[in-house]
Amino acid sequence: MAITTKNRRVAIVGVGYSNVGRNTGLTERHHAAQAANAALADAGLTAKDIDGVGSWGGDAVDFGYMMGFQDLRWELNVGVSPAFIAPAYHAAQAVAAGHADCVMAFRIMMQQPSSAKLAAGGAMLGAPSMSDTVFQYPYGNFSPTQWAGLLMNRYLHESDSTEEHFAKFAVSQRNWALLNDNALQRTPLTEEQFLSTPYITKPLRILDCDYPCDSGSAVIFTTEERARDLRQPAVFVDSSSLCSIHDMNFEALPDMVRTAPVKASKELWARTDLKPSDVSTAHLYDGFSVITFQWLEALGLVPQGQAGPFVAEGNTSLGGSLPVNTDGGAINVGRRHGANFCIEAVKQLRGECGERQVAGADVSVWANAVGPFAGAMLLTKS
Amino acid sequence: MSQPAPPPIIEDPFTLYFWEGSAAHQLLIMRCQSCGTWIHLPKPVCRNCQSMDVKPEPVSGKGTVYSFTETYKAFHPYFVDKVPYLIAVIELAEQPHLHFQSNLVGVTEADVEFGMPVQVEWAEFGDKTIPVFRPVTREGTVA
Repeated sequence: MAITTKNRRVAIVGVGYSNVGRNTGLTERHHAAQAANAALADAGLTAKDIDGVGSWGGDAVDFGYMMGFQDLRWELNVGVSPAFIAPAYHAAQAVAAGHADCVMAFRIMMQQPSSAKLAAGGAMLGAPSMSDTVFQYPYGNFSPTQWAGLLMNRYLHESDSTEEHFAKFAVSQRNWALLNDNALQRTPLTEEQFLSTPYITKPLRILDCDYPCDSGSAVIFTTEERARDLRQPAVFVDSSSLCSIHDMNFEALPDMVRTAPVKASKELWARTDLKPSDVSTAHLYDGFSVITFQWLEALGLVPQGQAGPFVAEGNTSLGGSLPVNTDGGAINVGRRHGANFCIEAVKQLRGECGERQVAGADVSVWANAVGPFAGAMLLTKS
Repeated sequence: MSQPAPPPIIEDPFTLYFWEGSAAHQLLIMRCQSCGTWIHLPKPVCRNCQSMDVKPEPVSGKGTVYSFTETYKAFHPYFVDKVPYLIAVIELAEQPHLHFQSNLVGVTEADVEFGMPVQVEWAEFGDKTIPVFRPVTREGTVA
């Protein structure tokens, strides 16, 4: 007779980053090892406590052996997927099901070539499906900034948001980053500075994009029982989702405004008794700023089309009604591909964010990706 | 100085029809022969009825602008002397949400409108021909 799958409550007990920076000269293995050691130290666990590994970037199996983890009871390498939510979601599921007790989820990401290098022919960006590039490259479409430009322009057309609202959003994110020692971008920014930077692909500016860097992030998931004995106050996984609505051709999306975050949000809320009005802090992917706007609306935190005015009123800033991306977002902490949102949500719920701490934070949502696929996780303090 | 080579186009028997059609100035889109659904980007199966009887068929070349972006930065040597240029998603007339990615020509960014009617025309791309779109008046003449 088969052993029934368990349904255990899951907690996050350790989080860690590598020495994140621009062209660090370190390998994926260095970033994985630094992040893993930081997460273990944070949790008060040893390498031998870890019995499951999932990663996007590098190789989970390689990292597990390199670190001297137990023989792995569970492992996963995710390919192109909605950023860190993919390994994180599956890690939490593995613990819930009892297939592993203590799982480390990684996102290891190396800095991509600059546009100057691309223009000089020194490199080309990859694509999720190379066979589909025959319908993309001839039109000069190579960079994710270009699908983002298409999504952002359509969003501006259908919503009450303006480019000035995006400027205010960039300033609000930078103001959070000024309170975060870990951020890579820490000089004050004004709306005028934002609006005077040239377009990459109109209406998208460089300050609408996350900041390229080398980064390693690690998060440890375990059972509630185990979590109670560890160093940090446990943070619990209340609900999660990982959804897709389309193939990877963003340009062919039937609706560029209501994309996969709508589906992922619907699933997230269907799996919990909590409601959007319960959320204390939101940590919403900003690979491109329009993605954060889409998530604010998809999650039901803001009415459809109102993200821009909501941001402009100061709601997402320090002291606002819904603090958003309190670490400064990936535009300021660097491209950690969603892991920073998970880690910042955990830190807010632990109450260890210092100057940027949101008083009384007890429910936080973090969310990744846009367009074809997306996922989200709702975390609670108790 | 010679012109930089265009970006590589993967030679794929499944999408050869598109290049052959374009060379003959005919826009071909994959279509399900069982239920009539247009399928772009092309796939070997219809996501409406799961039939694998799919074949390229000519379309009218008429459509409307669903979204657009004017690119200022070149991400490939071939496009360095072509910036800025307009990338657009065209909703082809044959079916709701039948989105075709292309370039807009004969119009400045400031004059592009969402929902604007456009018509296919043909442009050079290395030794190949590609479909691009130009705005037309509501009556169908070139704007």
